[in-house]
Amino acid sequence: MTARGRARRLIWLRRGVQAASLALFVGLLLAMRPPESGAPSPRLGFYFHLDPLLLVGAWLGGERLAGPALLALATLALTVLLGRVFCGWLCPLGALHNALSWLGWRSAARRRETDGLSRWQRAKYWLLVALLVMAVGGAHWTGVFDPQSLLYRSLTTGLLPGLDWGISAGAAAIFQADPQLGPLHLTALSEPLYRFWRDALLAGREFVFAGGGLILALLLALLALNLWRPRFWCRYLCPLGALLGACAGRTALRLTPTGTCGACQRCLLRCPAAAQPEKPGQWLPEECFGCWNCVASCGEDALDFRWQWPWRRPAAARVDLGRRALVGAGLAGLGALLVFKLPPSARAKTFGPELIRPPGALAEGDFLARCVQCGLCMQVCPTGALQPAIDQAGLAGLWTPVLVPRLGYCEHGCALCGQVCPTGAIAPLALAEKQALSIGLATIDTTRCLPYVYGRECIVCEEHCPVPTKAIYFVETEVTLRGGERRVLKQPRVEPTLCTGCGICETKCPFADRAAIRVTSANESRHPANQPLLPGGTESVGSNPYGA
Amino acid sequence: MTLCSRRDFIKGLAAGSALALTPLPLLGAEETPRTLAIARWQGEALGEATLDAAAGRLTERAIAALGGMGRFVTKGDRVWVKPNIGWNRSPAQAANTHPAVVGALVRLCLEAGAKSVRVGDHTCHEPRQTYATSGIAAAVAAAGGEMVTLDPARCRRVALGGKRLKEWELFPEILEADLVINAPIAKHHGLSRTTACMKNYMGVVGGNRSVWHQDFATCLVDITAFLKPRLCVLDATRVLLRHGPQGGNLEDVATPGLVAAGADIVALDALAAELIGLAPAELPVLKAGVAAGLGSLDYRAQAGAELAVS
Ligand code: SF4
Ligand code: SF4
Repeated sequence: MTARGRARRLIWLRRGVQAASLALFVGLLLAMRPPESGAPSPRLGFYFHLDPLLLVGAWLGGERLAGPALLALATLALTVLLGRVFCGWLCPLGALHNALSWLGWRSAARRRETDGLSRWQRAKYWLLVALLVMAVGGAHWTGVFDPQSLLYRSLTTGLLPGLDWGISAGAAAIFQADPQLGPLHLTALSEPLYRFWRDALLAGREFVFAGGGLILALLLALLALNLWRPRFWCRYLCPLGALLGACAGRTALRLTPTGTCGACQRCLLRCPAAAQPEKPGQWLPEECFGCWNCVASCGEDALDFRWQWPWRRPAAARVDLGRRALVGAGLAGLGALLVFKLPPSARAKTFGPELIRPPGALAEGDFLARCVQCGLCMQVCPTGALQPAIDQAGLAGLWTPVLVPRLGYCEHGCALCGQVCPTGAIAPLALAEKQALSIGLATIDTTRCLPYVYGRECIVCEEHCPVPTKAIYFVETEVTLRGGERRVLKQPRVEPTLCTGCGICETKCPFADRAAIRVTSANESRHPANQPLLPGGTESVGSNPYGA
Repeated sequence: MTLCSRRDFIKGLAAGSALALTPLPLLGAEETPRTLAIARWQGEALGEATLDAAAGRLTERAIAALGGMGRFVTKGDRVWVKPNIGWNRSPAQAANTHPAVVGALVRLCLEAGAKSVRVGDHTCHEPRQTYATSGIAAAVAAAGGEMVTLDPARCRRVALGGKRLKEWELFPEILEADLVINAPIAKHHGLSRTTACMKNYMGVVGGNRSVWHQDFATCLVDITAFLKPRLCVLDATRVLLRHGPQGGNLEDVATPGLVAAGADIVALDALAAELIGLAPAELPVLKAGVAAGLGSLDYRAQAGAELAVS
């Protein structure tokens, strides 16, 4: 068989592998749900363990290399041997870009002259350097750009909620209107489909994420750029691609001239990486995705991938990263680091009241050094409490998880987020350990709370408080109503030594706008400096002023 | 929004009960039917292992004493069993109805010819976890019933014509059922001091139901009057004495080993109150229930002698 014929087959194989990988990624994401019992399988974090960028980032951030993450070393070994085949064959985000590029081929064709190697392809290496410099300094923005994190986060906080909105709203509208075609109710079709979506795929969770729209918009924008330059993201921006590229310079599988090039430039046109297949001897292994398009497109059979032993000899051509630019990138990383570390909150001088972290989260500095903004914890949280931070954690904490009690609460009988976090940013805790922690403290707003100001019964907060002995108690107090009539009401109080800050009181408070009981980060176990209360109960100082 | 008028609804109910009250030869009840039955465990001491079987037997006995499930279920009926499945707590913590009571009810309904028996509650915690942890999902599946996750977006705004609640969002599953079996557990509650059958109806509504706390008594009377209970089954195999309604400490749980059933919701709630150690006549919800003519506090007069089960 000719090299071209074999390449054509390989391309079909590659497409199959890419589709399977994307499907696996989505499947693992949908399977990331609260299990009936026990913890979710660590295999659900497979793609994060496979990702050397996250591994290197975590390692520079001071974490020990552990367990399943060592899979990433296999990815590196694969790259050293075969080049960036991870990008070309396995990366799920790459597969998406590939599919979109396919749509963009025609427009790219019109620009064939300008679609060769660009100096800006070096930008991804600069980004990588800047990110790694930041990681050393403990500001982890690797996950903002890492492709696995980016895709997972976008699907979880953007695409799924968007689909869910469309499907639920549509099904609910059909249900309420109940249109009929003769004797047939449309709901006989729509309801089972809707239930399948809700129960089987979403596991009954309602996905609502503040700021998810922007995250999704960014993904869509990156995908749209494929119409302008095939695999724009992978070519110019992806820091994982850059890391793999840096390892691919001596790959054993090299594009080799095997005949006379007719200079038809068809390979240039089909190369999504602009790796210069059209210039014999100038092919760039750091850029090449190993997609085989060039070999398959060559009318002259003048190109093929060949094993080159010994592979210790570097390939003829290399990307010139530009020493000055590299230094510049490093400095830019340092600059960003400074900006991240400047705010008083970054040095634990102040504590953001809304910066409520999931239970088991490390102290803020360590947390930021580890969290890769992947969104696994947000995907697994059964109540949808964990949200991608917008400004609660400063610039450094963009898209890291914060608990937003108005949207969901930390379930007393759950410790899932720590069990799924692939980096240990949230420590894996046993349920009893988790229940002994507090992530914040509830505060009663006595200017809103019904029994305090409106002369009405309520204590919905007390009813929902999950602490077995109740962290919310009430004091029966006689109040005077408008007409002078007196009434004894149960007014809620919070016992700070019992409150875990789970936030269910704030979630369930009948005020739908700003709850009359709100949780702030005060008392969070992870920060000794954010403790307003003398340790121990109130007994030791004599009588409890609130009369427990 | 569809408004289902109260009259249509009650008409449907009346037709259903007329059928149900027709004496059937197949009853299989061994005594003159009572209107209220209290079955108490007299066998070996109740522990985690024995309670399952005991709860099922107590339920069967109480229903049999009412004349059997055939008095309530007509062949082909769609039954909705409404336990209390509010909290992500295990059966031992006594925050939800005992799964064996629910399982027995599902089985009895199916044996009486029900076409479908569906079970669900508007949980306070995340429903999937709550259904699983409560043990009810497994018991219902084993008995051949179907667990349904209620969806607030499916609620219908219904005219209740109550004193406080003129109209409210109800789950369609409740409106469409031929029979709703109200099957709560008896517990302590911070605000209303006890929660049992009437309070259990909070789980059939959607909307911002937490505002009901501001006038619990009237709201619960309104919803009860609208739903016209035909069969309530009170699970007091375990009861939660303190820190209700979700508890969590096993020290707060007592084990009276008792299941009661009947149509008089006030009488059953009075029994529940006494089991928690409260005087029924002092509880606002029960006083309001009596005033609205929903039943009487004197459960003893109706129930007669307790049925010993072992
Ligand atoms: S432990 Fe709390 S925050 Fe973490 S996943 Fe469970 S409910 Fe969500
Ligand atoms: S805390 Fe862990 S699971 Fe959550 S986004 Fe960060 S790295 Fe991912």
